[in-house]
Amino acid sequence: MKNSPRSPFVRGGLGEFKQIGNYIMSVIDVKNLNKTYKTHRKESGLKGSFKGLFWREAVYKEAVKSVSFSLEEGELVGFLGPNGAGKTTLLKMLSGILYPTSGEVSVLGYTPWERNRDYQRQFAIVMGQKNQLWWDLPPSESFLLNRDIYGVDHTIFQRAIDEMVSLLDLKDLLDIPVRQLSLGQRMKCELVASLLHQPRVLFLDEPTIGLDVISQEKIRSFIKEYNRLKKTTVLLTSHYMQDVEALCKRVLVINHGGIVYDGALSALSERYVDHKVIKIRFDSPQAPAPPDTLSGVVEWDTAHAVLKVPKKEVARTTHQLLSDFSIDDLSVEEVEIEEIIRHIFAEQPDGAGKRIEE
Amino acid sequence: MKNTFTRYFTLYRSFLSHNLKNEMMYRANFAINVGMDIFFMLVNVFFFKILYGNIDTVGGWTFYQTLILVGSVGVIRELAYLTFRKGFLELGEYVRTGNFDVMLTSPVATSAHLAFRHVSLTDSFGEGLMGLVLVGYGFAHLDAATWISIPFYLLMLFNSLAIYYGFCLLVNGLVFWLVKSQELNTVVYYFMNTARYPREIYHGLGKGLFTFLIPSSLIATTPAAILVGRADSGLVLLSLGVAAGFLTLGLLFWNWSIHFYSSASS
Amino acid sequence: MKKYWTVFRVNWQNALQYRGPTFISILGNLLHISVLLYLWNAIYLGEQQLGDYKLSDLITYYILQLMINSMVLSYISWELGEQIAEGTFSNFLVKPLNPLHYWFVLNLSGKLFEGLLVLLVGGILSFILINHVTLPSEGMTMVYFIVSLILAGVLAFEFDFAIGILAFWLVQINSFKYMLQYGMFFMAGALLPLDLFPEAFQRIAHLLPFRFLLYFPIQIFLEKEAQPLEGFITAGVWIIALYLILQFGLKRGIRRYEAVGK
Repeated sequence: MKNSPRSPFVRGGLGEFKQIGNYIMSVIDVKNLNKTYKTHRKESGLKGSFKGLFWREAVYKEAVKSVSFSLEEGELVGFLGPNGAGKTTLLKMLSGILYPTSGEVSVLGYTPWERNRDYQRQFAIVMGQKNQLWWDLPPSESFLLNRDIYGVDHTIFQRAIDEMVSLLDLKDLLDIPVRQLSLGQRMKCELVASLLHQPRVLFLDEPTIGLDVISQEKIRSFIKEYNRLKKTTVLLTSHYMQDVEALCKRVLVINHGGIVYDGALSALSERYVDHKVIKIRFDSPQAPAPPDTLSGVVEWDTAHAVLKVPKKEVARTTHQLLSDFSIDDLSVEEVEIEEIIRHIFAEQPDGAGKRIEE
Repeated sequence: MKNTFTRYFTLYRSFLSHNLKNEMMYRANFAINVGMDIFFMLVNVFFFKILYGNIDTVGGWTFYQTLILVGSVGVIRELAYLTFRKGFLELGEYVRTGNFDVMLTSPVATSAHLAFRHVSLTDSFGEGLMGLVLVGYGFAHLDAATWISIPFYLLMLFNSLAIYYGFCLLVNGLVFWLVKSQELNTVVYYFMNTARYPREIYHGLGKGLFTFLIPSSLIATTPAAILVGRADSGLVLLSLGVAAGFLTLGLLFWNWSIHFYSSASS
Repeated sequence: MKKYWTVFRVNWQNALQYRGPTFISILGNLLHISVLLYLWNAIYLGEQQLGDYKLSDLITYYILQLMINSMVLSYISWELGEQIAEGTFSNFLVKPLNPLHYWFVLNLSGKLFEGLLVLLVGGILSFILINHVTLPSEGMTMVYFIVSLILAGVLAFEFDFAIGILAFWLVQINSFKYMLQYGMFFMAGALLPLDLFPEAFQRIAHLLPFRFLLYFPIQIFLEKEAQPLEGFITAGVWIIALYLILQFGLKRGIRRYEAVGK
């Protein structure tokens, strides 16, 4: 990843998604949403456990704090944040799995936790770590069951299956028991099972977690294609920056339960980063240490160098490098998104920056 | 939109056929299950046989009458496995792993979805079969057997099933606070296990307790009493009332307790 | 040795974490026992008697049966079987723990925890029913009783472990396990005292080791057991024999487990 070319979105202009226009009704509207968990503190050790049998101290944890945002039809938005930031909790509230402590949510005009059957027929949530397929039966059987659960018309069902099966290359797997499928194949089937009823809104929680690079790529391109074809509104969380970079123009960055950034992925670097990275490959071997006149050196050996330079000084430094050294190749790059995100989390109080995802 | 009844019937059929296919994978298991059930029932019969070897009646019930009690419990158990019981047995696992999420997001009532998810014909098949045999055998040995009582007997079996379902909802609904369900399942298991003793053994406080709080004294006694010819309208009305009460309370409690589900993200 | 102590302690902490289930478990047992008491009471009220058991003997028999059941008898086979089936059992293969010893400690810790609670409940119950239970007439009986309980605990663990490691060879054995366990309890005298059985059954039950789990200790408590010492020796021989068989079976099982590559 380190030396791969930047995703086109990073270089893309700011606010592309805004141009769709304000007159389109938002599909998801979240206002001032809060979720506080009550847990119990247990003193460690056996003695503490005995005490806990009769009396426990309640501890309140604010998993989601006054979160507000809205999504428009067809948007594909990424949720970024470290573990325990509240991403999954938010998705679960939007799906009606959890009740909020306070606040308002409207998805497609419904309040999720009222669990209106009509709402449930129009959205889907896929969690990378959970499994709804029948373990001992082929995936096609699980699809049939979901058809009946969602009351999908038989011809529509068949069309949806055919379409997704070809998009995901699943044809040969439909009659193999799920337990014999690989993790990646299972995830693909999981997606098909969840999308059979053609939801208008799709929540994806870590859809690529634990998958190999090829499966990740396949799922990514499927999501992208599906969103393009069906205009499904997608809200996605992922550990993998690649997922977000490849799929989302807009990101919501969440930390400690609150949204700290809502905007274009490409604008993240402009807002949070004031420097760029210059990478050089020398033509001929150089001295093992950089000259004192050069500032911002991050890496330096006889053949390569990497410099971190304030944006204003990029031109001057580049000029200096080209005149002082014999250079074979020089590139100026934006700071990696992952690093920007890390930077944002590090800015937050109480040392949360240390708990970046692995 | 199809009406709710046909929709749930279709769903039930779909779940039943899926579970059957699933059970087909483990055919050897089916044989073992049936064998086991028959074994269990025989042990129960043996228990009463030994008991009645020493005594003549238990709470006024003779050996053959008691066989109808034991058999009825078996039949109700099988009916319960065919409609709801196994889902509740698995509920703890659903809550612990967070897989209960699926039930909350799909457009089916959770109390039905959970019930249907694991409907099983085979799990208690031997018990049902053996139960029928026992009921038939006991019925054949009755002095005052009347065929007319059979439809009423069947009706009251389903009434007992409703009590059982309501009780399950009330007890297993506690899982959202406890997370562990093994103990809850044990309570329900005892509930059905103690149902095979006739209602007449209780008196005083126990009678009230095992009627209104833990209605195990009605589950087998009411239908069996009809077949045996011991039932009066009071007992039948009481059973119907308790069933209605438990079903209503059970559903109310269940739908309320879901609020306390804190979806685990493992 | 210390690592096993840690296993013991952590398991207790775990059990205490779930206080709700603990109370419910007690409640369930209480209800179960009260139904049985109603049953015997109804029978004896009708001026009927079972064998040479007085009502107080029977009440004592069932209270003890329930107490021993949860305090002494082992139920680890479920978890053990599950771990083998799911493959998490591999953890043992990379750790310097003997699975047999590990599970023994785990079971012991669980039993002692439950034991305290059951003892409490059983004690209260006996206190309420003080005039309706049979207590031993001499101190020696209690000593014998405790020895028989220890033997029962070890033996029960061995049987349970044997059922658990069946998972190495069989998949989906839950129902089979139920049957084995139930048959074991029946032959242990859980439902009815063995001496109320027909003659032939009594003789079979006497030859099998299962009577040491429930019937034998309770008979000692009720001072109906004629040859406690002979029983101790027989039980001891069974324990040693089973231990050797289990170690052997475990070794074979693990070899098979690794071959399957879970």
